Amino acid sequence: MLKYIVKRLGYAVLVLLGVSLIIYFLTRLMPIDFVRDKVNSMATSGATVSAEMVDAMYEAYGLVEDASFLDILKGYFNWLSDLLRLDLGTSFKFGVPVAEKIGMHMGTSFVIALIAAVFEFLIAIPLGITAATHQYKFRDYLVTVLVMIGISLPAFFFGNILKSWLSLELGWFPSGGLLDATKVQSGFGLLLDYAHHVCIPILTVVILSIGARMRMTRTNMLEVLNSDYIRTARAKGLKEKVVINKHAFRNTLIPLVTSMAGLLPSLFSGAIITEQVFDLPGIGNIALQAMNAGDIPFIMGYNMFLAVLSVIGVLLADLMYAIVDPRVKLE
Amino acid sequence: MSKEKKARGYLSGREIRAITKANKKVMKRLEAQKYRKAEESEFLTEMKDPGNILEIDNLHTYFFTEQGVVKAVNGVSFNIPKNATVGIVGESGCGKSVTSMSVMRLLQGPQGQIYSGSIRFKAYDYKLDEKGKPVPAPAGSATPYEMEEKVYDIAQMPMREIHRIRGKQIAMIFQEPMTSLNPVFTIGQQLDEVTFIHTPGATKEDAKARSIEMLNLVGIAMPERVYGAFPHELSGGMRQRVMIAMALAADPRLIIADEPTTALDVTIQAQILDLLRNLKDKIDGSILLITHDLGVIAEMADYVVVMYAGKVIEQGTVEEIFHNPMHPYTIGLQKSKPTLQSNDDTLFNIPGNVPNPINMPDYCYFKERCDKCVKACSGEYPCMVQVSPTHFVACHLYDKEVDHG
Repeated sequence: MLKYIVKRLGYAVLVLLGVSLIIYFLTRLMPIDFVRDKVNSMATSGATVSAEMVDAMYEAYGLVEDASFLDILKGYFNWLSDLLRLDLGTSFKFGVPVAEKIGMHMGTSFVIALIAAVFEFLIAIPLGITAATHQYKFRDYLVTVLVMIGISLPAFFFGNILKSWLSLELGWFPSGGLLDATKVQSGFGLLLDYAHHVCIPILTVVILSIGARMRMTRTNMLEVLNSDYIRTARAKGLKEKVVINKHAFRNTLIPLVTSMAGLLPSLFSGAIITEQVFDLPGIGNIALQAMNAGDIPFIMGYNMFLAVLSVIGVLLADLMYAIVDPRVKLE
Repeated sequence: MSKEKKARGYLSGREIRAITKANKKVMKRLEAQKYRKAEESEFLTEMKDPGNILEIDNLHTYFFTEQGVVKAVNGVSFNIPKNATVGIVGESGCGKSVTSMSVMRLLQGPQGQIYSGSIRFKAYDYKLDEKGKPVPAPAGSATPYEMEEKVYDIAQMPMREIHRIRGKQIAMIFQEPMTSLNPVFTIGQQLDEVTFIHTPGATKEDAKARSIEMLNLVGIAMPERVYGAFPHELSGGMRQRVMIAMALAADPRLIIADEPTTALDVTIQAQILDLLRNLKDKIDGSILLITHDLGVIAEMADYVVVMYAGKVIEQGTVEEIFHNPMHPYTIGLQKSKPTLQSNDDTLFNIPGNVPNPINMPDYCYFKERCDKCVKACSGEYPCMVQVSPTHFVACHLYDKEVDHG
């Protein structure tokens, strides 16, 4: 087992190297030049910018105007050598170290995503099982139609609907942000205020993501219910409830648990659109701003962070697989 | 409609919708019947012959598909006497397995339904008081509750009562040992479960002791080790032994073996058949053996039922069927069996195929493949002719009242 994990981690380093190469070149391919944008915005605000100043700025950010392939390659190796010294660099746009900026905003996104994921599983799995055990009956159609509506709604649309209804019309929840700026709070009250603010965002994320998970549960459950060992379980004289909740569910769990491990990167990546709609200072929101500004160190740092999580997630999924399915042995 | 369809070879959307609508109505009625609440008296009945353990009487099991109603079992009747082995033979798709699934009520609903007929089974079950609770036995008796023999009509039983039959009274061994065990539970867990369901108040130790005893009985060399193993760690033959152990664990009165050796290689087949034969002497029960292998039937069965296209076409004792086969289909089946004595290059086979199950003809279903047709074969479907006290055949050749020209 340990040997297997070490081997997989070794491969992971190679994968990450490839990923970083691709991300770096894609970032440099973007038609954005951070320095030129900055100079332009300085010029529009009335400051005079001399040619020397522009050159100095290019120098300072480690960029070259009209960079050639060699310049880009050099930039990549500079970034890589910094990374090996565990330095993700300093964000162009925010002016603070990338690692610090990510750490600052990740918490919010993580808490929202985690709570949403818990609710997603708690709701989607029972729905999927009912739909499967009542296949082609009213209950199946009802659940399927409802979750399909959920899948089809775009986050910016549905988020705004919920906001205008629950917040603006009914006034149950605040419409955006993470804290009530009009009050000074601490301790438990602060926590409650946080919780109050993330309710609608979590609701949005849950409703939009239940569908996929429910469909997955339903499909797996149907497949399991048609298998021979379920017939055996029934022939033994087990009650239908036990057949479903023990024999069938335990087998349906295998792909579900595996997919749970795959969830890891999405817990930290932030929900870009939902965070925009509700004006939350989450990592998704920040990443979008950095992307628009051509903030190369931040984009690299953020994406590499997600890549590492993805690799760990896949490894975890394989380990989980071996735990829940006795037929799988890791070599 | 059917003539038009034959010409076209497919169904139009309108025809499919008409069929679906008609099916839905029947399926809804049958499903409601299946899941109704019922008093015990509704499905209690009497055996016609007290020497039988199972009497199947004019059973019709239909599948309601978009293409039409498939009459998979179309008026089957036969009996299983106490302590006897009855074999059902027939080629694929003739309704052997569906008959056994009907007895266990394992048909896939809502499409598969018992349409009519009765399945009378003599059960040895708990005596119930007026409230439907088992009556506790007086102290010192072998079982915790009082037992009595009662006859259930399985076809009339609602699904909520079916656990009285499954496992405890009738157990089943399936065709596919490789996929019939749950891959995520150990053999021990799956075997113990049977004891837990059917023996009230059984402890973990009781269940384990019973399971090990059963594994020993089916000839597994290291029962303790197999007890803790997962199904994927065992070979096909071992798994089939486990399936048999599982079937025996609750002392059923009838074991249905649905092609128990089809998926196994020949040497293991012989072992499993030996095992079943020996077990029959040890347990006090009957076996319903379903197979398309005549050799297996000849070795194992006391009575043989030959099925063709959802109907019984001949039945009798094993000697009668093998030494004096009467129906042209039975004769054909026996001729198509490979033998060591003959030097023929080609095997005999019955020409043609089983007719389309949706549009069965109204004359004898075997007519198109039969080489002994008489005039009457174009007429009505032949009825059962009794040729000896135990031998019946459904063929116009043996019907004295019809035109043999």
